Amino acid sequence: MNYSLRIAGQDMPVEAELSEQGSVNATIAGREVVARFRGISPNQIHLEVDGVGVNAFLADDPLGKLVNVGGTTYLVQDADDLARSGPRRRGLKELPQEVTPPMPSVVVRIMVGQGDPVEKGQGVVVVSAMKMETTLQAPFKGKVLKVNAAEGDKVMPGQILVDIEREAEEGKDTQ
Amino acid sequence: MFEKILIANRGEIAVRIIATCREMGIRTVAVYSEADRDALHVLEADQAVCLGPAEPMESYLNMDRIMAAARASGARAIHPGYGFLAENPAFAMRCEQEGVVFIGPPARAIRDLGDKTVARRTMIESGVPVIPGMMQPEADPDTLAREADRIGYPVLIKAAAGGGGKGMRVVHSPGDLAEAAVSASSEARSAFGNGAIYLEKYLEKPRHVEFQVLADAHGNVIHLLERECSIQRRHQKIIEETPSPALTPGLREEMGKAATAAAKAAGYVNAGTVEFLLDGQGKFYFLEVNTRLQVEHPVTEMITGIDLVRQQIEIAAGSPLRISQEDIVGRGHAIECRIYAEDPLSAFLPSSGKIHFVKEPKGPGIRTDSGVYSGYTVPMEYDPILSKLITHAQNRSECIQRMKRALKDYVILGVLTPIPFLVDILSSEAFEKGETYTDFIDTHFADWRPTLEGTDLAVLAYVVDTLANRTRRPSAFTAETQACSPWLTLGNFRP
Repeated sequence: MNYSLRIAGQDMPVEAELSEQGSVNATIAGREVVARFRGISPNQIHLEVDGVGVNAFLADDPLGKLVNVGGTTYLVQDADDLARSGPRRRGLKELPQEVTPPMPSVVVRIMVGQGDPVEKGQGVVVVSAMKMETTLQAPFKGKVLKVNAAEGDKVMPGQILVDIEREAEEGKDTQ
Repeated sequence: MFEKILIANRGEIAVRIIATCREMGIRTVAVYSEADRDALHVLEADQAVCLGPAEPMESYLNMDRIMAAARASGARAIHPGYGFLAENPAFAMRCEQEGVVFIGPPARAIRDLGDKTVARRTMIESGVPVIPGMMQPEADPDTLAREADRIGYPVLIKAAAGGGGKGMRVVHSPGDLAEAAVSASSEARSAFGNGAIYLEKYLEKPRHVEFQVLADAHGNVIHLLERECSIQRRHQKIIEETPSPALTPGLREEMGKAATAAAKAAGYVNAGTVEFLLDGQGKFYFLEVNTRLQVEHPVTEMITGIDLVRQQIEIAAGSPLRISQEDIVGRGHAIECRIYAEDPLSAFLPSSGKIHFVKEPKGPGIRTDSGVYSGYTVPMEYDPILSKLITHAQNRSECIQRMKRALKDYVILGVLTPIPFLVDILSSEAFEKGETYTDFIDTHFADWRPTLEGTDLAVLAYVVDTLANRTRRPSAFTAETQACSPWLTLGNFRP
């Protein structure tokens, strides 16, 4: 089987086949690996690579499989699945394009009202999760169309708290 | 002795207190909010009372409901744990008035020690060293220079109305004082509308060293040695250890004496912690007294063999201490790592959601104080501490090795934890050498990124799991838990 797997921000092409006797032959990003494996429990696989045993712990997550080896947990995703379902990807540094909390939170303060002009990066809503406050910023310059949350509301990632109409930046198309 | 104790807290500390109560044959009453119905402390207690909605003011901070739960369940004593109502003198007073024993110090001691100026005055009067400084603001350059000479260089100029570093200047020599004072004052004026400044001794590379004290209601006060808690992130301790690599036997004795003197001066009863800053010359300065059980109390328990919660309960019941200062001997070395639900790569943002799988490390000298289990959903309303991992070994270097091994054996799938960050701190040369100052993280780990050694193995495990068509019981992802998953919204790599 051929896979394209995404782990730690990289895509890795993987070719792998299982044999009847509990071994796996794989080529991971051009590196050949032969290993023996045993399923120990629904959440544990024991691997033996070059005669060295190692335990891997796995769980299903809505976005892929969580795999823990050597004290680090990785999210491993099938890049083909990702391309098919086409989820929005974004880097850590990139500003989100919507005013949505990064984690389940409670709205602490709303700093804009309908019709207010906002600058890019201006704080519009403060949310709190686990005793830590985070200020959500306007992703671009524009005008507030609608505020969809009230102070004290419990909000979830993906929920758009403030609709902002983007203003055309000078010398640029808005697309 | 009490027949039944109510624990006015949640999470790992409530579970830890229940354990000792059980060993003492005392029945336990847990209290919980609607968000905590399935929390471990609720499952572990003999009895559990729902306080109300998730918001702390409606539950764990609501004195009326907690007192009502104590009355209804017949509990004659309340253990407050740490946080929530643990250092609230009004709550301790309320317990006193309603005839319920508060397992902690008297309300008056909590109030006095909670007030920084009262605490500082109390310490000065009983000869405990405090950070030298001026008692009031001053504008006259000659007076400032005289004060700086008295305090001793380097000095720190601070804004009286200040905060957040504005109007602060470190001055190393008398020649720079006048100019720094003028610029600090003008910065303070533009930031706070008030240019008043004062001087304090500036401590270079201080360590945070605290002493555990126990005081009974009969005037006996002892200390249970120190804990060093210099490894902090945003003033939050993350790794604690005992003994401190910086203390000599002589200094330990001197600081221990100061700690017991501080407790005596404050009329302290029960377990408490006297915090000091220690500078590079072995001079130490009183910081504050924490009038409660500390998060990091297990390291003291490991090296002394004394159960601090049992001591707290016995003291609260009126028993005299059955141990004297001479009985206290530290054996070996202990380290604690706090395991928070947080993402070390995204500014340590909290990470709530469902824990699909947990495997705790085992072996000699390893202890986990945990409030989570496989299948538990971490609520977003409370402090993100999941558990504490504690190791004990013959000496510091073996203890570090043991902690690194235990951290790597600690598997938590579903929420993010700083385990890879903690492993890298413990592996660093600076930590191994004991160069642990309060600026440790900023100095050595400000730009930390994980080393990704296991990606090939993780990918291999993924394909084996997929190809062998291994099925796990379909986890019941409700719409909500799905939305809770941090994988949905944060970046690509997850440690």
